Amino acid sequence: MSESTIQDGTPSAATEKRQLQLGFLRSLTLLFLLVLIWVALSFATDSFFTAANISNLMRQGALWAIIAVGQTFVIVTGGIDLSVGAVVGLSSTVVAILLKADLPIWAAVFCTLAIGPAVGSFHAFGILRMGLPPFIMTLATLTGLRGLGLLLTNGLTITGMPPEFVDFSRETFLGLPTLFWMVVIVVVPAYLLLHHTIWGRYVYAVGSNAEAARLSGVSNARTIYLVYITSATCAAFAGILTASRIGVGVATTGEGWELQSIAAAVIGGASLFGAVGSIPGPLLGSILLTTISNGANLLNVNPFWQRIITGALIIVIVWLDQMRRSGRR
Amino acid sequence: MSVSSSHSTKTDFPRRPGAAGNDEGGNPNHVTPLLELRSLDKRFIGTHALKEVDLSFNAGEIHAIVGENGAGKSTLIKILTGAYQRSSGDILWNGKSLSLSTPLQALDLGINAVHQEVVLCPHLSVAANMFLGIEQARFGFLRHRAMVREAQKILDSLGFDLPAAAMLNTLTIGQQQLVATARAASRGCRFLILDEPTAYLTRAETDQLFTLIRRLHGEGVTIVYISHRMEEIFELAERVSVLRDGRLIATRVVAETNPDELIRDMVARSIDEVHYKEQIAPGEPLLEVEGLSGPGFHDVSLTVRRGEIVGLYGLIGAGRSEFAQAVFGRRERTAGQMRMHGKPVNIRSVPDAIRAGVVLLPESRRDQGLCLNLDVRFNLALPSFRQLSAGGFVRRSEERRVAETQISDLNIATAGPGAQALTLSGGNQQKIVIGKWLNHGAELFIFDEPTVGVDVGTKVQIYQLFAELLRKGAGIIIISSYLPEVYDLADTLHVFRRGEIAATYSARAVDHETILGKAIGN
Repeated sequence: MSESTIQDGTPSAATEKRQLQLGFLRSLTLLFLLVLIWVALSFATDSFFTAANISNLMRQGALWAIIAVGQTFVIVTGGIDLSVGAVVGLSSTVVAILLKADLPIWAAVFCTLAIGPAVGSFHAFGILRMGLPPFIMTLATLTGLRGLGLLLTNGLTITGMPPEFVDFSRETFLGLPTLFWMVVIVVVPAYLLLHHTIWGRYVYAVGSNAEAARLSGVSNARTIYLVYITSATCAAFAGILTASRIGVGVATTGEGWELQSIAAAVIGGASLFGAVGSIPGPLLGSILLTTISNGANLLNVNPFWQRIITGALIIVIVWLDQMRRSGRR
Repeated sequence: MSVSSSHSTKTDFPRRPGAAGNDEGGNPNHVTPLLELRSLDKRFIGTHALKEVDLSFNAGEIHAIVGENGAGKSTLIKILTGAYQRSSGDILWNGKSLSLSTPLQALDLGINAVHQEVVLCPHLSVAANMFLGIEQARFGFLRHRAMVREAQKILDSLGFDLPAAAMLNTLTIGQQQLVATARAASRGCRFLILDEPTAYLTRAETDQLFTLIRRLHGEGVTIVYISHRMEEIFELAERVSVLRDGRLIATRVVAETNPDELIRDMVARSIDEVHYKEQIAPGEPLLEVEGLSGPGFHDVSLTVRRGEIVGLYGLIGAGRSEFAQAVFGRRERTAGQMRMHGKPVNIRSVPDAIRAGVVLLPESRRDQGLCLNLDVRFNLALPSFRQLSAGGFVRRSEERRVAETQISDLNIATAGPGAQALTLSGGNQQKIVIGKWLNHGAELFIFDEPTVGVDVGTKVQIYQLFAELLRKGAGIIIISSYLPEVYDLADTLHVFRRGEIAATYSARAVDHETILGKAIGN
């Protein structure tokens, strides 16, 4: 280290600008890819660029986006939450059961949302107090909570929810589907929390170096509780919306969504090693994933092929992202 | 790059065991170079790591390499072990040109390296590590017991008191380093590179290592010894080469040089005294500890005044670190009181300590002190987010202001507040770890081994930082197992033995031997 490398404000600002631009470029290329696919699909099919299909796209994308946003919090701490799909299934049956029992809608929604803090706290407890790796802890609840949902419903489909509840997800507000507005309700506070509050800073610190964070006076335990509760609550919320969207409570709803949410977060630039990721990312990632499955349906692509294409795209997108990242150094 | 016949004599055969030591001490040019570098150049994108380095390693010599962090030592090692490819220049082995394009090729020639960080498998046994890659098997099945037996034999013959069947991660870092050295020595090694091998070793382990090095030297192995510790170089090496900014500055015969000359070569600026401390008169008591006891230490009382450096010296396991961690709230304590500014404080956790103005700077900055993949600004603001925010929301302008203040105050060499912490050199990373607490307003700084693994120039900067802290009225506790450092720095030196303060001395009151004697228990 020589004195000649010491620089002051001017070049630092330039570096920062460059990094900002690179971050912007990444979301831009994802956005670009998305727009490209949209344009291609509009030309390739008659049905893609129709109001009905775009609304449908938004509705399906909304559910994935909400759980992916929660998942991103966990991933930034270097953890993983495999249980989100199971929480979606459980909360969709719980809300259906409560509504069938004639609870007012607000009460049913409120009680079901409470599944989030409960499950999230349990995860954090297992990770912190029992020393289980996040992967194992949430793998266990993935199985367990799915079982709980099946037990509650005896494997049956719960019907008979009030029409106001079921209609909610089909309505629009200011011309956009209500489910889209639900994403806004989740994303805006999530963005502020992760990028503008002390807690958000601590999420990154814990993900980057838990020991350094601890020695700096950060309560790692509180941070871990925060992220797992956020993730599970987002999943519970998505579960309620799913119940509304499909009109019934089924315990097996949301199977495989945990992987969709992880894929969305990772496509959006989050790193499973922690401390890298941002809120716009999972949003773009989930829209991309939804577009692929929607477009493939419209193009009559064999659904088995859809899965293969999705898998290949995840590899390519994350690979490109890593290339871009390593080029920065 | 033109290749001309060199000035030195060339023979086709290297000197074999026994013959090597004989004609040493004479003119090194008359000894066969085993390995010779000619105009070796290495460029990375953005940096020129090695510039036209001409360097020869004679068969059977101990050749020390010194230089500040970033001088090109690691790059040189990586090229010699085949991990990196040179950009241009020649490498000659026994006078023959060598491609050295893979690590395997280097190993085949008998070039081995023991790296500063142990690169072994922590979850395998000592024996499994020693035979890693050259396992003994019969019909495709590993011969576990035979390998353990043989490994034990090797360890015993080297004079290392280490169990071959134990898991590597049950050993101390120093012991692991010895395993790594034994591993290299047992593999038909002819050219051994040791990178800062004593950084984590205790005195006894260092002695064992030196015995091994001398023995390998006696067998004709060429040894490249990289260290920041001058006394080791003067104890072991025959020649020493100095690197600075990727250039070879000089190769000197150790018997004909002195530490001052080498340091001048290394830093290109004269350093009056490496162990530098300004005279600052201690003021009123800052921290008073009375009768503190806990696991690993009992009944420890001491006082740290403003402007004072208190040194805690002791062998590993003597309780000094345990005590300091209890002061910082990281370990439990069972009895005793603490006072800050004369008022009792009850420190039971790290946040308690930080609130009271007590902070600890861990030994391993990279692993425990920094969020390496986050930016400099983030790291500088990390403990202070509460002060920098309103209603839970972090004020970005404040965050930036605080970071820029510390970067200019501490002269942190970085591309900017947005640069990732891992792009900075070790000394500058250390400055971040200190700087983040200056923001926070801490008053008592506990440094755990503050200069482990840093080069001379950075060391001086760290000592200047200490002086800066003291001038601002802070108190400092330094924990060290490196006596010359605490001896020269501390105003008050407490010697720990078996969890208790065995002796307390004021600055330079007694000599090293007395202190060491107290620590060992004579």
